[in-house]
Amino acid sequence: MIKTPILQVDNLNKSFGGVRAIRQVSFDLMPGELLGVIGPNGSGKTTLVNLITRFVKPTSGTVAFKGQKISHLPPYKIVRLGIARTFQMVKPFYHLPAYKNMIIPLYSPRMKQLAGGRYGDRDAIALDLLEEVGFERDSHVAYKPAGALPQGYLKRLELAKALALEPDLFILDELFSGLSLAEVASIVPIIEKIRLQGKTIIMIEHRLKELFRIADRIIVMNNGQKIADGLAEEVMENEAVKSAYLGAEAD
Amino acid sequence: MFIGTTLYALINTSILALMAIGFNLTFGISGVANFAYGAIYILAAYCIWGMINLLQLPYLLAVAIAVLGNMVLGALIYRFVLLRIRGQALSEVIATFGIGLAILELFSYFGWVGFEYTLPVFSDRSFIIAGTYIDFQRIAIAGFAAVLIFGLWIFTHHTSVGLAFRGIAQDERTALTFGIDSDRIGALSVSIGAGLAALAALFIIPLGSISPGEGYDVLIKALAVCIIGGLGSTGGVVLASFIVGFAERFTDTYIGSHWTMIVSLAAILIVLTVKPSGLLGKQKELEERI
Repeated sequence: MIKTPILQVDNLNKSFGGVRAIRQVSFDLMPGELLGVIGPNGSGKTTLVNLITRFVKPTSGTVAFKGQKISHLPPYKIVRLGIARTFQMVKPFYHLPAYKNMIIPLYSPRMKQLAGGRYGDRDAIALDLLEEVGFERDSHVAYKPAGALPQGYLKRLELAKALALEPDLFILDELFSGLSLAEVASIVPIIEKIRLQGKTIIMIEHRLKELFRIADRIIVMNNGQKIADGLAEEVMENEAVKSAYLGAEAD
Repeated sequence: MFIGTTLYALINTSILALMAIGFNLTFGISGVANFAYGAIYILAAYCIWGMINLLQLPYLLAVAIAVLGNMVLGALIYRFVLLRIRGQALSEVIATFGIGLAILELFSYFGWVGFEYTLPVFSDRSFIIAGTYIDFQRIAIAGFAAVLIFGLWIFTHHTSVGLAFRGIAQDERTALTFGIDSDRIGALSVSIGAGLAALAALFIIPLGSISPGEGYDVLIKALAVCIIGGLGSTGGVVLASFIVGFAERFTDTYIGSHWTMIVSLAAILIVLTVKPSGLLGKQKELEERI
């Protein structure tokens, strides 16, 4: 059986004034795939995510999800179709306990859709989801105010919020940034578990070593363009990629 | 005299809180400063007056129609005006102020001013409390303000729906990330604020009369209370209403009524100088743009 792509990005362009942030980017993503997107700072990775989720309107080009064109829909409708994203800069409600931070995703229209209008005990669902991303149940971390939690837990919380939407496609924007090696090591299995459930994942990362261990495929961005697309080993041997990274380091 | 002044100061506090709570709620949920608020308050009063006196409708029906009508008007203002200029604070202020001006000046043009333009009191009864004469309407205002504000506070701080509402209010990005149409929440916020303005008018207008000038007065008082308390903070509205409410009455009794306005304005001036975000207001964090 030939699988059809879950996400099709076709000739996407975005200009901010005179700056061409994204140029002619196209790629397909198969269901269950884990795609890593890498590239030097300012290469357009986050803009690409913003274009797919329509937080930013494309100048031209289309994005289709499960065969349906989505690039004309407002962001909240795209979420309801089953795309969840996390942000590089997390913004939890610092004064609320971690599990109360789950309130918004758990009251979202997407959840209502999935639950057929019934929600059940949301605090219990919140605690279950937090346990899934590594909030140990007996340690009571979930009851602490989000403001008192270390960065590792805030990123897990961000992940749990995305999980609550039960999306088919996760877009994780620099989930690992600002985390220690140990913290990253403890989050990797959670991502692998999400994958085993057949979910499709796009990860934007700077932490290449960790990313390469779990990604099926890597796209390299530079100056708004896709300069390489393939297996991790192939991509890193690519001359254009080498010069993009070395060039960026030489700056 | 002291006890009497205190009682009337408490009632004045309730009036101010009732006037400000709708404006504050709209701002607290969606960040929209609805400068048509005073006009909407007056519009509701004229509508109720017209339905009772010109159309001979029963009082409660007239009230229900006016409150619902105001809520629809609020949603329409959001949908057809604010939606297009969302996020540009100055444009929002100018547009809503323009709408308010149009409504109020229309009534001025009709010349609907005078003592006959007022709403009926709920009951003619009055009481003597601690030697001070207080009519039923003022007691109703105090009671309603207390119940309304306590109810709103419970809703926004202790129910999950209310917390979610506030969460979305604080951060549009969060709303969009979780599939919530922030424009619907915005329309709802202006709509609820307009409905509260109608309720405030229903309670407060019977103490005086309906006039376009009152619309500007209500807007200024709502603004003063919200600025002193901290825009968007329910606790701030209560605290600021107490400060202004007591300052006004005590100035009136012990210094002279012509000083009342000066005391309120001085309070704004001092607060803006010392704590620009208001007594209980939270300075907006600088956010990285996405």
